Amino acid sequence: MALFRNDDTPMIDRYRWWEIIGIYAGIFVFLFFMLSPFIEGFLVSLKPLSQLFSTPYSFWPENGSFKAYFTMWESVPGFARYIFNSFLISTIATVIVLLLVVPAAYAFARFSFRGMGLVLAAFLAVSMFSGAVLLIPLFRLMRTLGMLNTYWAMIVPGAAFLIPAAIWLLRTYMMRIPKELNEAAYMDGASQFYTFRRVILPIARPGIIVVAIMTFIGAYSQQFVFALTFNSKTEYMPLPIGLFAYFGKQEVIWNELMAASFVGIAPALILIFFLQRYLVGGLTAGAVKQ
Amino acid sequence: MGQLTLKDIVKRFGAIEVVKSVSLDVNEGEFIVFVGPSGCGKSTLLRMIAGLEHTTSGDIVIDGKRVNDLAPVKRGIAMVFQSYALYPHMSVFENIAFPLRVEKAPEASIREKVEAAAKILHLDQRLEQKPGMLSGGQRQRVAIGRAIVREPEIFLFDEPLSNLDAALRADMRIELTRLHKQLGATMIYVTHDQVEAMTMADRIVVLHAGYISQVGPPLELYHKPQNTFVAGFIGNPRMNMLPVTCTGVTDQGVEVDFNGQTLLIPVAGRDGIVGSALSLGIRPEHIEIGPGEAVMTITPTVVERLGQQTIGYAALDGQDENFCLVLPGSRGIAEEQPLQVSFSTADCHLFDAGGQALERQVDLAAMSLPPVAVPA
Ligand SMILES: Nc1ncnc2c1ncn2[C@@H]1O[C@H](COP(=O)(O)OP(=O)(O)O)[C@@H](O)[C@H]1O
Ligand SMILES: [Mg+2]
Repeated sequence: MALFRNDDTPMIDRYRWWEIIGIYAGIFVFLFFMLSPFIEGFLVSLKPLSQLFSTPYSFWPENGSFKAYFTMWESVPGFARYIFNSFLISTIATVIVLLLVVPAAYAFARFSFRGMGLVLAAFLAVSMFSGAVLLIPLFRLMRTLGMLNTYWAMIVPGAAFLIPAAIWLLRTYMMRIPKELNEAAYMDGASQFYTFRRVILPIARPGIIVVAIMTFIGAYSQQFVFALTFNSKTEYMPLPIGLFAYFGKQEVIWNELMAASFVGIAPALILIFFLQRYLVGGLTAGAVKQ
Repeated sequence: MGQLTLKDIVKRFGAIEVVKSVSLDVNEGEFIVFVGPSGCGKSTLLRMIAGLEHTTSGDIVIDGKRVNDLAPVKRGIAMVFQSYALYPHMSVFENIAFPLRVEKAPEASIREKVEAAAKILHLDQRLEQKPGMLSGGQRQRVAIGRAIVREPEIFLFDEPLSNLDAALRADMRIELTRLHKQLGATMIYVTHDQVEAMTMADRIVVLHAGYISQVGPPLELYHKPQNTFVAGFIGNPRMNMLPVTCTGVTDQGVEVDFNGQTLLIPVAGRDGIVGSALSLGIRPEHIEIGPGEAVMTITPTVVERLGQQTIGYAALDGQDENFCLVLPGSRGIAEEQPLQVSFSTADCHLFDAGGQALERQVDLAAMSLPPVAVPA
């Protein structure tokens, strides 16, 4: 018992030993369901290919090694390029989304104008369709605009489908910034734009970073459909399509495929890890008396 | 500089008229307090003066110039918000410097002005801290500092102390009065707290449902309320109202019948009030135990002993409001024991059926005695 609490623990946070075991058991079950595909994937990446189809199947790799992590670059020579493409597409999509969404969310949070509710509802409605439903009209649109087989074919629809959720998320965050701050700045002679830049943006930074992370992850994971339909150039292919290359004519190189998957998501993980350090909570503390 | 005139100011939000034809002259260097119950339109009026809210009709004139359509900075006005409205990501220094940065003032002059303001407000040690690390009183002082650096001619305060605890409020009250003397600027201060109004104001403006109920120096409002609203609002606990009937008007005052006693109240009479029902107002602190000019018997139901004074509340027949009396010190009155109390007719107020006061014959000059010089 003493393991989980001491005399300083408030009464409301004190649990019996069996409650604590229950809580941890719950967390474990939940995490296991979430993470088991990743665990299995990682274990597969360590096994030699021959062992993958042995019966009885052994969960733990025997004489496992990281060999697949080296051979994967030789089996699919363009793989680094695919990672770079994915990263590039997601980054540009995120930048575009932020440039559009930050001012839009501020406008939706601060000003009320005719038809605002309708526009917001429309955004919500758009995000109910997945890109897959609209593939054919999108394809015609891309063809008309001459964007087929370019990076833009993956960036533009990716960004478009990420904007509604981003606006809603950031609007909610910005609505929590007290209106008095705008009024105080206005009293002091600041223009709307000055106030936006010097007061609102810095306070909204944690919210903007959350939106940036969500958008980046979204863009990183949404590329598959658009890349498959709107792009046929190998050199522009992003990671999910690149993984297809491990599906050979006769056999699938499962261990390298798994290794490649992990290598592929690593850059995104690292980026998010660094971004979240800027997620300072409670930045509005002391602004107004709540 | 710093003279403000309001002419027939009206403010409507949609169909609701919140401020209804307010006219007022504020003199240069005056400390004016707008007081009134919540929702009576004090903030709205202040925000119109500030330039945050558009005026439906009427003129706002500052130093002879109509400013209705000018932006706040152009009016020479600074405002301190009830909720402080500090920029949480900036240090105290940057918060105070904000208006100067907007003006693009030179760095040296910014530093000089901010440091001068910080000194006045005792914030010199806190300049590098963020608002989140400050106490409520310090945050309010930062907000005041931000107003000071612009050297406005008129300061507006919207309930600046209502978020502070009682002790701090008393301190800040004194500081604000001191600041007013030091800066000599016109200050318009909104509050719902009559103690703040009484202690700080040169003149009080009592607002009631969008109208000005009465304007005057604190003691005039206390001694000569023009209507039952002001009578009830100024003074704590509130004035007792007793039903009486007018029996006659003489040069000395108005004769009323109060529970079978005939009282001569020294107020200015009026034609046609003989025989009508009036309200007699008497403040709780003017009631004494024992016989006197006007006598009544009450049975206190609740007695509050504060040490400094004893407050009793009694239910009267046919009245919703409790009758209240305040006695100095700890006095031996007990709950549920009938008690004879009295008051003198000189302390009484009389109001007609419409709630308008009959003017009392009190000499206000005699009530505010000149300071007595005590030889050392
Ligand atoms: N922007 C607004 N829209 C509609 N009604 C408002 C608005 N601002 C204030 N009011 C109404 O005006 C009345 C007076 O408000 P306010 O001036 O804030 O009162 P006070 O400051 O005296 O408590 C209130 O009834 C309030 O509901
Ligand atoms: Mg108010």
